[in-house]
Amino acid sequence: MDQQGQRLITSFFSKPRSTSSAEVVKGKEKNAEVRCTDESSVLPGIKNCASDSPAKKANKKVKALESDDEAPVSRKNKRRKCAVSSSDESEPEKEAIRKKKDVTPKLQSAHKLSGSTNDNSTTLFEEKEESKLNKKNVVLTGTGDKCDSKDEIKLGNHELYNPGKNNYHPLQDATWKMGENVPYMALAKTLELIEETSSRLKMIEILANYFRSVFLLSPNDVLCSVYLCLNQLAPAYIGLELGVGEGIIIKAIAQATGRTADKVKADVSAKGDVGSVAEASKSMQRTLSMFRPAILTVNSVFSKLTEVAVMTGNSSQTKKVDKIHGLLVAAKQLEARFIARSLAGKLRIGLAEQSLLQALAFASSATPPNQPSPPTQLNCFQGLSSEAIKSKVEAAAVILKTAYCQCPSYDRIIPVLLREGIAALPLHCTLTPGVPLKPMLACPTRGVGEVLQKFESTKFTCEWKYDGERAQIHLLENGEVRIYSRNQENNTSKYPDIISRFQSWIAPSASVRSAIIDSEAVAWDTEKKTILPFQILSTRKRKDAVEADIKVQVCVFAFDLLFINGESLVEMPLIERRQKLWNCFQKVDGQFDFATSRDPQSIEEIEEFLDESLKGNCEGLMVKGLVKDATYEIAKRSKNWLKLKKDYLEGVGDTIDAVVIGGYLGRGKRTGLYGGFLLACYDENNEDYQSLCKIGTGFSDEDFQTHSDFLKNHIIQKPKPYYRFDQTLSPDHWFEPVQVWEIKCADLSISPVHRAAVGIIDPVKGISLRFPRFIRIRPDKNPENATSAEQIADLYKSQDQIKNRKIEEEEEGFY
Amino acid sequence: MFEARLLQGSLLKKVMEALKELLNEAAWDCSDAGIQLQAMDNSHVSLVSLNLRAEGFDKYRCDRNLSMGMNLGSMSKILKCASNEDIITIKAQDNADTVTFVFESPEQDKVSDYEMKLMNLDQEHLGIPETDYACTIRLPSSEFARICRDLSQFGESMVISCTKEGVRFSATGDIGTGNIKLAQSAKVDKEEEAVVIEMQEPVSLTFACRYLNSFTKATSLSKSVQLSMSPEVPLVVEYKIEDIGHVRYYLAPKIEDEEAA
Repeated sequence: MDQQGQRLITSFFSKPRSTSSAEVVKGKEKNAEVRCTDESSVLPGIKNCASDSPAKKANKKVKALESDDEAPVSRKNKRRKCAVSSSDESEPEKEAIRKKKDVTPKLQSAHKLSGSTNDNSTTLFEEKEESKLNKKNVVLTGTGDKCDSKDEIKLGNHELYNPGKNNYHPLQDATWKMGENVPYMALAKTLELIEETSSRLKMIEILANYFRSVFLLSPNDVLCSVYLCLNQLAPAYIGLELGVGEGIIIKAIAQATGRTADKVKADVSAKGDVGSVAEASKSMQRTLSMFRPAILTVNSVFSKLTEVAVMTGNSSQTKKVDKIHGLLVAAKQLEARFIARSLAGKLRIGLAEQSLLQALAFASSATPPNQPSPPTQLNCFQGLSSEAIKSKVEAAAVILKTAYCQCPSYDRIIPVLLREGIAALPLHCTLTPGVPLKPMLACPTRGVGEVLQKFESTKFTCEWKYDGERAQIHLLENGEVRIYSRNQENNTSKYPDIISRFQSWIAPSASVRSAIIDSEAVAWDTEKKTILPFQILSTRKRKDAVEADIKVQVCVFAFDLLFINGESLVEMPLIERRQKLWNCFQKVDGQFDFATSRDPQSIEEIEEFLDESLKGNCEGLMVKGLVKDATYEIAKRSKNWLKLKKDYLEGVGDTIDAVVIGGYLGRGKRTGLYGGFLLACYDENNEDYQSLCKIGTGFSDEDFQTHSDFLKNHIIQKPKPYYRFDQTLSPDHWFEPVQVWEIKCADLSISPVHRAAVGIIDPVKGISLRFPRFIRIRPDKNPENATSAEQIADLYKSQDQIKNRKIEEEEEGFY
Repeated sequence: MFEARLLQGSLLKKVMEALKELLNEAAWDCSDAGIQLQAMDNSHVSLVSLNLRAEGFDKYRCDRNLSMGMNLGSMSKILKCASNEDIITIKAQDNADTVTFVFESPEQDKVSDYEMKLMNLDQEHLGIPETDYACTIRLPSSEFARICRDLSQFGESMVISCTKEGVRFSATGDIGTGNIKLAQSAKVDKEEEAVVIEMQEPVSLTFACRYLNSFTKATSLSKSVQLSMSPEVPLVVEYKIEDIGHVRYYLAPKIEDEEAA
């Protein structure tokens, strides 16, 4: 059934020919000849491509037309002669002939023997066209030569591509030829295979095999392939996004397959995956042609997606639908699945960036991409022990990953890889101001004890962990300043204030031409000189802010220096980097500061410092080694940096008991279950349930199953009149208030959409939980005994940050 | 030089209605035999083939074969400017990049002309094999339009099955099932109102309603419509245009999955 389905109009009719009435007779003859040779050769390809009834059909018709065959055969024989004599013609089709010159004699005899069969099937369509005098050259399908060897027949049938096979041969097992664009089907098959595989090593091997072929056959397509595998269009810092919602994809699927948008939408919510719906929809409607508008190539898909992404302005949504529609029409079933998923932003093959890098490392050590053509090193692993292979791949992976971390731009890495090989990467892809690197991340800890255990014998430092936004500030040689987020997005236009002030932060004694600073941008109350919570920072305009309009001021707290005056510092220990940072920059009140730090010795000191940081409106502490294990480990959630956050600590923050009142349908692997829930607290005074937060974390797969099973029996059609919630939060299903869950959260904050404790703290806004996590069901509590609105309000008020502000407000008589 | 004069201008207007829902643009191929148009909709599920023979025109002249790519939306706008009684003439120079439509009122007291830019279209001309269909069904075109409209309320696809008892159209959906069965007519006094079924073997195929509904936009061109079906090949819906030609629609059948079957 898999092969059935999607056909275009020419699967029933003959393939496209452009009409050109101006065709001269001589040219016609020639073309006809070309076609007759080609058609006989293309035929196996056709069968393979279609792999469904047309082939059978053609056969049937051959029989039916047997009586007609004599005339055409003799006519064709004549033409064949004429073509052999003129086979040096420079027309593109002729080239194809020239390539198989040596095959030609064989071909001819084959013609004589089996000629009637081949000719017959062609006459079917030709007769008519010839009478119309409007044929021209055949679209060469790339299926190429008619050869008896199995490998050759497989050429062109991309649905047979199997990168997972043992002893994969990068040239012979590829279904496309040297210099051709990689067919998208090959990538789709690779992705499908990866999706079906659960072993990560095998996944990497499959992807690596694909890349080995691409390295040698179509090096220009490596970059597109990488981006398509990652579902990216450009390096993250460029910020190019598809901007396609599910609605648009559904609309395009409906249009491309003759279905109604409603039905497609219903299917999507039932299956939870646009990709499989696209695939299934394609397989339900045949189309009329076998030779689709063109075979999709990796390159064409990628550029189409880019076109969709850059489309803006008037009626761009409609244009996007049209573009996607065109893509889906051209796609075969499997291709449709991955195109739809690419558009939806989730490939769901269980392979992330690290594995991709691993696969590239594997591929380039097995089949070096930088070799002269024809390639000599097809499989460097031949004859090596598995340990030797492993260590080779590991070494390559380290090089590649390091290069990627320092310079997270495939646009720069891949060309170097192709040109000079993996060993050249450290030379060419280094830290550069203007290209954001992946920041070093910290591991959470449970308590102060753990910190001491880790840093027992070494020197370490504690810094306040500011509750703001990570800001990587780049000073370029030309004086330009750029700011990148934690995810390498370009935030420069968000912080015009930082840009204009930056020069004043450089210490007068230091000459700084270029630099990369790692810092945290925090909302700052200029009057009270205190840190404001993250929520305030998030009210700033995200893009193209104008300095004069900025209401929320920020202060930058720098904690690391990664690059200065053309020199990368990431290999230096923190103690030196920090010293350089302090030397090169200076504190400016309310604008720029160094992260408050202390190098404590004992548990008591840490705890005291932690308390201070909480009082200073910070989230907790960062603990970092100073001398040993103190390099800047790009992109790693390293054990060398630990974060000590108050909500990770035992004893800080009480648990809350909340009532489940609604469920959101899950997607992906949670399809058919609830993927999130709406929780409420109980207000004793008004006797109503007030929405408190959405929750989707802290559950095991088993939890999801049991909750979904249990709550399905308590679905109600409409929310109870005593539920207080905002319309925007309406869940897919409402439940009776029957179960109480114990949850933990990082913080409580004022929320415009949630209703908990509304009227107690703020007249119209409620309180919500930040980062709620499910702990367990509380069977011992009934819903009326859940945490009350008053208690929530008390918890909110007792937070340190709020306490600080309250005191100030009272002092100043605000409000 | 190309010139085609059509006394019944309304005919061209109707043809336009029959095309523009499926096609955004198409190439009109003119030769001394007449005008032909063949194009797939942009999903490549259906194909439209229009044939207007030279002898059906009041005056017809085509010196050199000519292929004119037209935006059907624009062409439809222009034809809307013609009254139903108008005489329409289509004119183009050889190798021109525009086409001219001239509308004359029956009394010759008003003449309007509209020039439209042509476009370059990548043509894909498909050879459509002559097929002996297992079933052909002729029925009044208005009846067919009604059936398509009624059944598309039930589901997105429609099953057409032809047996020796007659032809059955059915659709299933969320609200339920609809079935319409037509038997061969006994009376033959008015030929265009008859239901005529010729059948070699029974056939049952499924089609997307959306396309069938688009096809019925040609209803006004002909009193009757002919459906031709064979297993595993496209359905042909043919509207004959009296004295001048036909418009044929080809529609690829849907592949039924087990649950729907």
